[in-house]
Amino acid sequence: MASESQKVPVRFDQVQKSFGAVKVLEAFDLDVAPGEFLVLLGASGSGKTTALRILSGLETATAGRVYIGDRDVTAILPKYRDISMVFQSYALYPHKTVAENIGFPLKVRKVGTAEMETAIRDAAAQVQLETLLERYPRELSGGQKQRVALARAIIRRPSVFLMDEPLSNLDAKLRGYMRAELKHMQQALGTTTIYVTHDQVEAMTLAHRVAILEKGVLQQLARPAEIYNNPANLFVAQFIGSPPMNVVHGSLEGSQFKTNGATVDTAISGRIDKAILGVRPEDCSVAAPEAGTLRGKIYTTELIGDHTLVTVDWGSDKLVVKASKDFEGKLGDPVGVILPRDQLYVFDAATGARVR
Amino acid sequence: MTEATFKFDKDKRTLAERLFEPPTVGQMAPVAKIVAYFLLAFWSVFVLFPIYWVVITSFKDAAAVNQGPYYIPFLDFQPNLDAWRTQFNSDPNCNAYAVFRQMGLLIYNSFAFLVSPVVTLTPMEPQICKIFLAFTNSIVVSIAATALCIVVGSMAAYALARIQYKPKFGNILMFVVLALVVILATTYAGIPWWGSAAVGLALFFLLARAFGKHFKATLGNGDILFWIISQRILPPIVVVIPVYVMFQAVGLLDTHLGLILLYAVSNLPIVVWLMHDFFANLPIELEESAQLDGATRLGIFWEIVLPLTRPGLAATTLLTLVLNWNEYLFAVFLATVKVQTMPIMVAAKNAGEKGVFWWEMCAVIVIMIVPVIVMAVLLTRFISRGVLLGAVKG
Repeated sequence: MASESQKVPVRFDQVQKSFGAVKVLEAFDLDVAPGEFLVLLGASGSGKTTALRILSGLETATAGRVYIGDRDVTAILPKYRDISMVFQSYALYPHKTVAENIGFPLKVRKVGTAEMETAIRDAAAQVQLETLLERYPRELSGGQKQRVALARAIIRRPSVFLMDEPLSNLDAKLRGYMRAELKHMQQALGTTTIYVTHDQVEAMTLAHRVAILEKGVLQQLARPAEIYNNPANLFVAQFIGSPPMNVVHGSLEGSQFKTNGATVDTAISGRIDKAILGVRPEDCSVAAPEAGTLRGKIYTTELIGDHTLVTVDWGSDKLVVKASKDFEGKLGDPVGVILPRDQLYVFDAATGARVR
Repeated sequence: MTEATFKFDKDKRTLAERLFEPPTVGQMAPVAKIVAYFLLAFWSVFVLFPIYWVVITSFKDAAAVNQGPYYIPFLDFQPNLDAWRTQFNSDPNCNAYAVFRQMGLLIYNSFAFLVSPVVTLTPMEPQICKIFLAFTNSIVVSIAATALCIVVGSMAAYALARIQYKPKFGNILMFVVLALVVILATTYAGIPWWGSAAVGLALFFLLARAFGKHFKATLGNGDILFWIISQRILPPIVVVIPVYVMFQAVGLLDTHLGLILLYAVSNLPIVVWLMHDFFANLPIELEESAQLDGATRLGIFWEIVLPLTRPGLAATTLLTLVLNWNEYLFAVFLATVKVQTMPIMVAAKNAGEKGVFWWEMCAVIVIMIVPVIVMAVLLTRFISRGVLLGAVKG
């Protein structure tokens, strides 16, 4: 059992996994720093859960090595890896009380009754469950079940926490609350945590660093702000951000991006026949038709609260622009969109790679 | 909503609406209610009448049975204890207490017999000994066969629910061919069966190791399950003669062990199928979580899987027990003298030129039903639903 202050690194070294002919993870390299909160972000089928399960030992890697601390754990049984895992479905034992559920990891390790009871009480206190210890899982709400699962994970003080979409089954409000709780708990314990999610908000808010996966390939590994401001490729650019980044198809000639009769000045220069121009909704602004870089018609407007999303149809593509909450405009009104020269991203349409 | 706009005022409905529509949400329409209760009542009578008939027939004498149908004791016919006395007591005029004391002794001794060195049997009337023998045979055979069947069957079911098997079709074919060769060698070449079987098995493993990797076509768990259930498709009467010959060869005829093995094997498909479903419905995360928490395979099975499938296990056990308890066909062929079971005892009342002794047969049937009812009551406690509630999701 790891002591409370012990922080260990985790390393994936060229890990591969295929199920029959399907490759779900390809040459996956990842270094997780001691005490880091790392989020594996990706759509379903991206291989993020597989990576987590390989680390947990529930799945074996087809090739490559996995290290926890300085130990090569690739072929080590799950129970000797000193990890604990929170499942999306919570996986509580329905025939055991909350206390028995939380204490189970100690019980199978033959920890003495007195020591176990103290540990259960400590773990329960950490997630505010002290009053529910005698209940059964069926008598708990979703958020309470989630906290039982967390308590069961922390009671052992493992060297690594694995979390597989732990908040997905909660409603939006509770999810926000539990997110904050999780972040606080991870910082207080300082345990290396690997967290799998498909929710970019969870990734951005929780992570020290985010690893974005797609089709079994690591797309980018960076701090949340870096991922947002400096996406490595088109996939990352479109995956992060809500509403997603606007894309305009065209060609890059010198520093001019040409599309559908319009020309946009960019800070990037090069020559690409099939290029994609990316711009975040909050970086563009609406203007009078003649003042805009691009001209189009209002397709729809959505008042979100503190801002309005204006969708502009300008012929070949639609652009979403974040405007002020006072924006007034009728459907079909002509409108101009200003694209700021310094906040434009250009990607190669063929490879999706960022052009800098 | 105002009174005027409330279109379906309860009192303003037509007769048809009153009859065929529920008065409020969550209730049944009057006609539907009548039909439902009529069907339930009809079914109850249908199910319970045979039991009633068996019980009252056991209190009839030959005249009451043959002149009759008499339905209501004391009104239609005068009940008496003749059928019970002739089987349970040597005194033809003994009272009800004496009869029921012997019945009680029968049941007590049957269970005392299971722990006979510890508890001594209480002496019974000599007539009862034949029933006692059949009764204890039935208990021993059905309990042992059920236990064996449940243990083996649920382990197989658990494996099939959790492990993906990919047997190579070529290997299976090879096994069948080798088995045929072994049979031919034993039958025509006079090689002892253990010799040819050992050589055949060794050959199979060698060949499978050498050529197995070249076979492409594989079967899956679904095929294995179908193969298992297909054993039940065959009518038992087809199997009984070969089994008789086989038992004769290995000396299992008219033995407890023979009957136990046969019953266990014949009910194995049912247990595997039922339990497979229960295991497959168990969320695998529970086991994975326990595995990460450090539990051993056996510990997971004992602490997590078994308690959660207890209702299924109880239901399957009850079903298997009843099937074994009532089994007639195998018993009548394979358990001729020493290990006669209760169904044989019942059928025996049908023998002889005097015709069927319905009243005596019914008395034996009543004795035979009692343990099943007791078992059902004991086991239904475990067959409660909702054990898995709260395992996963919110």
